[in-house]
Amino acid sequence: MDSSEARDHIEMVDRILAESHQRLCSGGEYFVVWGIGSALVTVLFQLVNGGTVPLPALWLVPAVLAACAIFSLIRGGVNQRVLRRSSLVQREFFNVLWLTLGLALIVNLAVFRIFTGTASAAIWSVAEAIVLLYIGMHGNRRAQIAGVLVVVSLIAANFSPPNVTGYVLAAGMLAGYAGFGVSELLARD
Amino acid sequence: MDELLLSKVRLGVVAELLNYEWVAFTELARALDVSNGNLGAHIGKLVEAGYVDEEKSFVNRRPLTRYRLTKRGRDAFTGHVLQLEAILKAAR
Repeated sequence: MDSSEARDHIEMVDRILAESHQRLCSGGEYFVVWGIGSALVTVLFQLVNGGTVPLPALWLVPAVLAACAIFSLIRGGVNQRVLRRSSLVQREFFNVLWLTLGLALIVNLAVFRIFTGTASAAIWSVAEAIVLLYIGMHGNRRAQIAGVLVVVSLIAANFSPPNVTGYVLAAGMLAGYAGFGVSELLARD
Repeated sequence: MDELLLSKVRLGVVAELLNYEWVAFTELARALDVSNGNLGAHIGKLVEAGYVDEEKSFVNRRPLTRYRLTKRGRDAFTGHVLQLEAILKAAR
C-alpha cells in the first residue's frame, strides 16, 4: 500500500469516527416519563406535608414509580429489537441511569424514616442531576444545561419557604429531566 | 498489515462498528453508501475471520441482521491503523 492510499483510508476512518454519535440514539421518552413521574411524586409529598391531601395518598407513590418502571421495561424491550444501531456510550448511559434511579427508588421505599417528606423527593433530584451531568460529561450540551437546571432547583428549593419546596423541586424535574427528554426526542434523526 | 482490512469497505465496516454495541446491516449499507450485495460479501469475510459477530432475528416479520465488533476485530483494527499511520510517517 502506498502513502496516498494509506492517507485515503485513514481519512475515511477519521470521518467515520467523527460522525459516530456520542449521544443517545433513543431514550428521550424514558426521561420524559421519569421526569413527570418524579415530579408527580414530589408534588404529592408536598401536598401531604402541607395537609392538603391525606396521608394515605402516599400509596400513589409506589404506583407511579411502578408505572414508570413498567413503561421503561416494555419500551426497552421494543427498542432493543427495533433500533438500527446502539452505541456503547448509550449502554453506559443506561447503566448509570438504572443504578442511580434504582438507588433513589430504594431510598424512597425503604429509607423514608431518614429521608422524610421533601428530603425523600430531593433524592430524586440528586439522582436525576447525576444522570444528566454524566451524559453531559460525554459532550451532550443539552444534558449539561438540564443537569445544571436540576441542581439549581435543588439549591433554590433549599432556600424556598417550606410550603413551596416540593413545587420548586418538581419544577426542576420537569424542566431539567423531562425537558431533556423532550429535547432528545426532538433532536432524534 | 492486516490483509482483510486492506479493503476500504471492510475497514469502513469495522470503523462503523467501533463505537457501537451493534449496528444493523441496512444501517451499515446506508452509512458506507454501498450496495447490499457488495456489503454482504465483505461482511461475510469479516464474520468468517472472527472480526465481527452476526445476529439474525425477525422484527414485525421482517428479517433484521445486526453486527457487533469482536475483541479480535478491535485489536486487528488498532494494529492496522497504527501501520497506516506508520506508512504516512515514513512518507513525510
